[in-house]
Amino acid sequence: MTDRGISRRKAAVALLLASVSAAGWAQQDPWSSAGVQVLDSSGGSNESKKEQVDRIQTRYREILSAWVAGEVDRAPDDLIELEKGVVADGDPKSRKRLLQSEQAVIHELGATSLEVLVPIAMLHHEAYSRLLSRGVRQAPLAVTHARQMARDLAILYNQQSGSEGSAVVASRVLTSLGGMLMEHAQQLPAAELFYQALELDGRNVPARLALATVYEKSAQPESAIKSLRELLKLDPDHAEARFRLAMNLKRMGETVEARRILNEMAAAKDAGWVGPLVYQELSRLYAEGEDWADAEKVLRNGLGRYPDHVRLHLELASVLDRRGSFGEAKTLLQKVVELPAGSGDSERLLYNSVRPETFLEARSILEDNSRSRLSVLAQALGTPAAGGEGGR
Amino acid sequence: MKFLTMGLLVALSTGAAQAAVQPRIQSPAPDQAVFGEVDVSVLMSADEPVTRVEIFVNGVRRAVLTKPPYRTKIDVGDDNSAREFKVVAYGASGSTGTHTVATDAIRIDEQMEVRLQQLFITVTRSGAADSARVLDLEQDDFRVVDNGKPQEIVTFGKGEVPITAVLLLDTSESMQGERLEAARRGASVFLGGMRPDDEASLLMFSDRLLRVTPFTQDRGELELALAETEAVGGTSVNDFLYMSLKMLDSRIGRRAIILLSDGFDVHSVLPIEEVLWKARTSQSLIYWIQLDSDAKEKSFNSAWRDHLGNDREYQTLKKTVEESGGRILGIQRIGELEHAFASIMKEMREQYVIGYYPTEFKKDGRWHKINVDVKRGGVKVRVREGYVDY
Repeated sequence: MTDRGISRRKAAVALLLASVSAAGWAQQDPWSSAGVQVLDSSGGSNESKKEQVDRIQTRYREILSAWVAGEVDRAPDDLIELEKGVVADGDPKSRKRLLQSEQAVIHELGATSLEVLVPIAMLHHEAYSRLLSRGVRQAPLAVTHARQMARDLAILYNQQSGSEGSAVVASRVLTSLGGMLMEHAQQLPAAELFYQALELDGRNVPARLALATVYEKSAQPESAIKSLRELLKLDPDHAEARFRLAMNLKRMGETVEARRILNEMAAAKDAGWVGPLVYQELSRLYAEGEDWADAEKVLRNGLGRYPDHVRLHLELASVLDRRGSFGEAKTLLQKVVELPAGSGDSERLLYNSVRPETFLEARSILEDNSRSRLSVLAQALGTPAAGGEGGR
Repeated sequence: MKFLTMGLLVALSTGAAQAAVQPRIQSPAPDQAVFGEVDVSVLMSADEPVTRVEIFVNGVRRAVLTKPPYRTKIDVGDDNSAREFKVVAYGASGSTGTHTVATDAIRIDEQMEVRLQQLFITVTRSGAADSARVLDLEQDDFRVVDNGKPQEIVTFGKGEVPITAVLLLDTSESMQGERLEAARRGASVFLGGMRPDDEASLLMFSDRLLRVTPFTQDRGELELALAETEAVGGTSVNDFLYMSLKMLDSRIGRRAIILLSDGFDVHSVLPIEEVLWKARTSQSLIYWIQLDSDAKEKSFNSAWRDHLGNDREYQTLKKTVEESGGRILGIQRIGELEHAFASIMKEMREQYVIGYYPTEFKKDGRWHKINVDVKRGGVKVRVREGYVDY
């Protein structure tokens, strides 16, 4: 691991355990400390604050109990309500108060088993997902809190466990969070999470693909190529990665290799969702070299596979215009007018981001690991689990 | 069982014979219009020596070639009609292969497109607002120069020339809500200004084609299509601007595209240079109602292009519009949309339409620069800057 990675982890753990005594956590089991004292902003005890903290902790425990009892719809919403109620956007210290209260509960529960961190992280992850889908603007500090809780719990889990399995789980938490950020056009924070995810598990293919896409969108084709070549060592047949590699090579002027990759993909006919893009961009490569005959041939092959594809029709019409075949170009356009509107050719939009499907694997691993540990969390809470089910 | 085996052998033997000699007509191309002396070119794929290639036009044998290259000229006459070209190739073993290509007749409007150059000319008083049009000019007041050579004006018209328009509306996600409603109202104002002889097509796009209607004079049909579209997805201006230009290729009259978009293309497969080339071979005006025209941030990266590439696209789109003889109408507030659509309709009604047959027409792909002068002083002329002879 790099120094940068170590310092990042330390920073994250330090944030989460800000209220634990400094002498405690590095050498000892941090969960064995006896309780956490919540301080107000001036550092002194405050009775009204204490009451508030008690209320938060009680409510937090109730929500965790609901989560383990299988109330998967209600618990994340209740958590959102609790956190939004405590965190005031104009008062950053209010987030500290919430953080310390939740930490205290997590600390107590974690004393029984580190494994409780996984379903708790999943609960915060779910809350974050819902907050994002409802609009960041309504409670930006609560949104940040939800994301950081999920992230810090994942990092802490891996830090304290040290097992390969914990690295895989933590890496998927970060990947899924990054995916959500990316969906909301937060490229740089997303890249940071993907980078951390890869430090935890270098075989995390979705994180590598997503990081390459961020590089690509940030006009850094060299970095994207490097990331994609690493990915293809792990999964040589990854169609999207191969296509993105070809596109980035084209950007770098390495058109011979780009054309070779695209020709191989067109010949193999198993390019998945990027299939139509392979024909479009291979034809463009020929067209840019004014090789209109090959550009036409590629598009005709593409239309053989995707006969109702609007964009392939348009592109072929433009090539035929260039070749002087105006009549056939016009016929093609007439066909486009008759095709079903919006017929499944939004691949170009998908290419400009990362498809949500990319992160399904991460979510699935996360959900499985969370579900399998709900009983441990239930035991720590002293409440029954939903027959081993429940949670996400 | 024996019969089946024999049948299989026969089938295999037939298949081998078919594959042995396979001609393909390279020229003329399918759907191409041909007349006069036509270059017929045949590409041969053969596993054995080819002894003879016969070329038929409309069922009549017109040429026999006995050695490569299998290429010849055939005079098919000057009548404007569809024709069938068929080649039959004979292999040394007696095997044969055939290939047929059907060519089209040229439609009258296509003939007009390739020969008659039509200019849509806006004349305003110098120094005055763009709306201060000069409307009392006659044919003799104009002088058209094509590549430095004066041209004879053969057609002259004013507001009476019918309009054929494509309303090209960007209905990407950023247009949701009030913006889409305002776009609908604006387009509706334009449709309301149509006369019985005018026709329009409505094309709504995002990163994909959302809706396109055929050209129609039925305003109700267009209004219905306008009401039914939602705003979703990203933006692909280039692809659908190209499509609009192509749709107008075979139309007649005063052809125009009215594009409503912020102009930030993200997802097109066609670069704007390709659209510019198409526009230069077209005779259509392009008007661009540019939303958010005061937006300071016009530079962006995408997975498809970096910010320099996107900047070039944006600048070339502006150039494409200006070269066409149309103009950019910058909109800062959506409340201005209806006025923008109405002013385009008014401007088109107040244009002069001049036609001429260029004295030089070589189809050599060269740029022809057009200059239009008006005898009267104190006026400003806006017209497309030229065309590609293609």
